[in-house]
Amino acid sequence: MTTRGIVGGALVALMLALAILAPLLVPDTWATEMDMLARLSPPSLAHPLGTDQLGRDLMWRVMLGARTSILIAGAAVLMSLVIGLPLGVVSGYFGGWIDNVLMRIVDATLAFPALLLALTISAVLGPNLRNTIIAIGVAFTPYLARIIRGEALRVARMPYIEGARAAGTTDTMIILRHVLPNIMAPIIVQATISLAFAILAEAGLSFLGLGTQPPDSSWGLMIQASRDYLDRAPWTALVPGAAVALTVLGLNMFGDVLRDVLDPRHAMPAKPA
Amino acid sequence: MAYLGNRLLSLVLTLFLISMVTFAVTHILPGDVAMIIMGTQSNPEALAGLRQSLGLNEPLLVQYGRWIGGMVTGDWGTSLVFREPIGPLIAQKAAASALIVAMSMSIALAAAIPLGVWAAVHRDRWQDGAASTTALLGVSLPDFFWGIMLILLFARVLGWLPSSGFVHPADDFGGAIRHAFLPSLALGLGLMAHLTRMTRATMTGILQQEFIRVARAKGLSERTVIWRYALANAIGPVVTVAGLQVGYLFGSIIVIESLFNFTGMGWLTYQALLNRDIPLIQATVFTIAAVVMIVSLLVDLLYTVIDPRVRLG
Repeated sequence: MTTRGIVGGALVALMLALAILAPLLVPDTWATEMDMLARLSPPSLAHPLGTDQLGRDLMWRVMLGARTSILIAGAAVLMSLVIGLPLGVVSGYFGGWIDNVLMRIVDATLAFPALLLALTISAVLGPNLRNTIIAIGVAFTPYLARIIRGEALRVARMPYIEGARAAGTTDTMIILRHVLPNIMAPIIVQATISLAFAILAEAGLSFLGLGTQPPDSSWGLMIQASRDYLDRAPWTALVPGAAVALTVLGLNMFGDVLRDVLDPRHAMPAKPA
Repeated sequence: MAYLGNRLLSLVLTLFLISMVTFAVTHILPGDVAMIIMGTQSNPEALAGLRQSLGLNEPLLVQYGRWIGGMVTGDWGTSLVFREPIGPLIAQKAAASALIVAMSMSIALAAAIPLGVWAAVHRDRWQDGAASTTALLGVSLPDFFWGIMLILLFARVLGWLPSSGFVHPADDFGGAIRHAFLPSLALGLGLMAHLTRMTRATMTGILQQEFIRVARAKGLSERTVIWRYALANAIGPVVTVAGLQVGYLFGSIIVIESLFNFTGMGWLTYQALLNRDIPLIQATVFTIAAVVMIVSLLVDLLYTVIDPRVRLG
């Protein structure tokens, strides 16, 4: 394990702990309580990370925002895996016309920048927490499907698959017993890196008002709110910005190391545009 | 030539599929398009009128046929928000965006190539660490966050550059560049990070190859070996990745143009999405995807020019 892997892993663990523990330990009221006398106050003993335009404590808000941001990113990546895994495996394993049709559709969807697709879906469905997950999940699906297909294609040509087939094993069994376990490592790596991009996508969507909606709090939403007070209170942007950066940085570093360990063949990650 | 023909045919097919995806996303998703446009509180007569005028009462296939027919013949419909024909509106905004796309790409390449080469040459030393960490930090921050910081520093604190608006290059060239600079820089920083990583990875691989050892053994200067021999071989993959990043750029441009109030294609798309202007959403989304497709084709063709070893057939 390199230093980079340890730092990355620690950052991911810290953010996960925040997302899970903060809602249990910190009452919601701490993050919503307004102190009108302490609006936009700089970091101090009473408010270690300062306060926002309504005098709400930024430390509590950023801690509770972790829950929304990580929940959305996690659920979205899970959703794209649930759709992308069968699509990619079927396409790569069976090949032929199934592969042709599915991959044409995937390629056409890949022409849409992921953020544009997510914004469009969110705008059409109406922005809220659930639809933000759907929007990012759908937008990320073609990337995962493409990568999973490539891996399935590689494994499907292996001699042991041929052997299994010759022994009369059904396709379903071959996929479950032989293909899936052998493509898991690159998928885990890709999912970790996708998680980083999903955090950024959620922040982007919320920043444009097409993601998380108040009263839910997310990092993107906090950065959006800070825009009007930048001159007087730059920390209102820096605090949630740092939270996004540390999480994404952690996931990227962790993903890099994970790839070196689990999937040494690939040097560069594929990334949702 | 056969290759080009095949690629063009596949481009047409993909554009057709893109149009289907665009239409599907705005039509088949649950919800009544008229209701999406006007909101749930609107009165029934107004809704019926809008349905009628948008042809929403007809079967989906007929609606799709009419939409794609209009796109092909150049009748892109009228924007509900701007009350202007969509075709000319998009042409005008796309021209504005071309400026910041070109500028941000130039900034990113100009910074990423030297930085990536520097990191690869000093592999596993502090220079590599510094360059890689800078790049990693660049990918890890949302580009709108860079945008906000740039506004704070260059517009508010230093007062060197304007923080919002668009000036047409024909009216005032200097003003146009000044207005486009901060948004381009914000876009370019994120892009630079990706390209630095790519340059470093490609250069690292090339520097280990035989012909580099031969070049060094011949007594060529290190500068010639790196910049003439190694980089000439690395530039192909880097340009390809840069071309593929256009997709990423067109996603980010929506956020950045909105932040800087730079009235280009991204800003137009955002206005369409925000106001649920379905005809405009369809046209902008389709245009962006089509441009991404066409750029990736051009990059493939450019590849053969940069790297003559690649023969297409």
